[in-house]
Amino acid sequence: MSAILSVRNLTRRFGGLTAVNNVSFDLSRGEVLGLIGPNGAGKTTLFNLLVGIHKPTAGSIRLDGREIAGLAPNRVARAGMTKTFQNVALFQESTVLDNVLTGGLLHEDVAGARARAAAILDRVGLAGIAHKLAGDLSFPERARVEVARALCTRPAILLLDEVMAALTPVEMEAFLALVRTLRADGLTLIVVEHHMHAIMTLCDRILVLNFGGLIAEGTPREVAHHPAVIEAYLGKAYAEGGADA
Amino acid sequence: MTEAVASPRAAALRPGRAVLIAAVLAVALAVPLGLDPQGYPIRVLTLTLLFAAMGQAWNIVGGLANQISLGHAGFFGIGAYASTILLRDFGLSPWLGMLAGMALAALAAAALAVPTFRLKGHYFALVTLAFGEVMRVIANSWSSVTGGPVGLSVPFAPDSLWMFQFGAARPYYYICLGALVAVTLVFWRIKAGALGYRLRAIKENADAAEVIGVDTFRAKLQAGLISATLTAGLGTVYAQFSYFFDPDTIFGVATISVRMALIAIVGGVGLTFGPIVGAFFIIPVEEFANAALAGRAAGLSAFVYGAVLIAVILLKPEGLLALFAALGKRWRERRR
Repeated sequence: MSAILSVRNLTRRFGGLTAVNNVSFDLSRGEVLGLIGPNGAGKTTLFNLLVGIHKPTAGSIRLDGREIAGLAPNRVARAGMTKTFQNVALFQESTVLDNVLTGGLLHEDVAGARARAAAILDRVGLAGIAHKLAGDLSFPERARVEVARALCTRPAILLLDEVMAALTPVEMEAFLALVRTLRADGLTLIVVEHHMHAIMTLCDRILVLNFGGLIAEGTPREVAHHPAVIEAYLGKAYAEGGADA
Repeated sequence: MTEAVASPRAAALRPGRAVLIAAVLAVALAVPLGLDPQGYPIRVLTLTLLFAAMGQAWNIVGGLANQISLGHAGFFGIGAYASTILLRDFGLSPWLGMLAGMALAALAAAALAVPTFRLKGHYFALVTLAFGEVMRVIANSWSSVTGGPVGLSVPFAPDSLWMFQFGAARPYYYICLGALVAVTLVFWRIKAGALGYRLRAIKENADAAEVIGVDTFRAKLQAGLISATLTAGLGTVYAQFSYFFDPDTIFGVATISVRMALIAIVGGVGLTFGPIVGAFFIIPVEEFANAALAGRAAGLSAFVYGAVLIAVILLKPEGLLALFAALGKRWRERRR
């Protein structure tokens, strides 16, 4: 499969801190890639570099062969990549429909965007609350609106930054089912999530980040047994005993 | 299901509201016929309409994009000076001078946008405030063109629509009413259209807006240019109506910049009818305080005016429209 996204030697320093250090990876079309790592490993910074919120200190990001490193987020969105926010960033005083519609304005006029938004709300199971204010929603509803708004920009790649963080196990299962349907429709995804169950069942491949650098890469099964991963999460003592478990 | 969700909400005018607007417009058209065309009341009403239009122009940037400008006097004065200087030196019709002023204001707004739009909150307000003050200083010191601190008088001409001059206040009343309707329509179209959605997104979460494809700089620039251009046009109207102005009034922070912001904020910032309600509250209160109290003690009228404004802001920070809505609701509930 051809790579839709190629990241090479991506680095971002904040003063003396290297938040993302020389990260390289490829993403295939239709793939679901997991991104895990301890708190502060640089996952959200990596996402912010990919969508243009932060400018890279060094490195290259090619989307469909086109260099997008350093572009403003709205240009990256136009090129086909967008993300949802870790601490849900909805337009609180607007309705659900208006939130989603705004994403559609990237490619369409208001009427077209409204029709697209309505169809997407239908699909993610939010049609019933289209006219509710985003500020009045429950956690699972907010997570879905974030996804719906991002989908309305018609992305080729969607980055999900811990959308399932505040969900109960039952709500999470429902959300995972939604993500699987998106995948079935050909969307390429990168998922940051702390729930290991969600990551393990959803992803084709997982990257492990620690102290800003990639420390492991592989299928969920490979990563779960990788000594460096066990060490990063549990400490060195476990890694030595855990490798043959 | 999809159909029901897709029905346009913001763009459509509710029938009850359309009737109300038509009734208010009819009254506004009829009122001058019952007033002395030279009198004080029609002059106050004309000024009120003009300031409502100015508050509405400010509302495009301050209300929709939440960029609190305290420098709109800069654009207002550019409009007044451009048309008056072109009229004085070349005998150009103020209507054409108005277009020249609008173009100049657009240039100024574009130049101002580059350094300011990356700024947020107070910093944006401060830089725009400085812009207005710089324009005032330029007008005061560039005497050969602007006439300096003495000010400029509009050269007298007989009544003529083409030369934008009338002996009576009544024609100016209708011109200001037309200007208010025009600016309100522009505001309403922006608010219901794609730019309105983009500006609301920027106001509520600029990072999220960018990530879902909103070019935040471009949207703010569009709003800023439209707002500045309309404000300059109204500056020409003011110059023709008042016949005389000087740098300290036309570029004034309190007289123009803050008043434009205040009118929108007191009425209901970001609301289509906010500045209209705000102007019809603020300008008459100001005039009344001046007329009734000016002779009593120095500064008393300004004190009363300030006290009334503070009372409104404390009572209902969202503005008078929200206050009326709350009172109306309470009244309906009590009748039930």
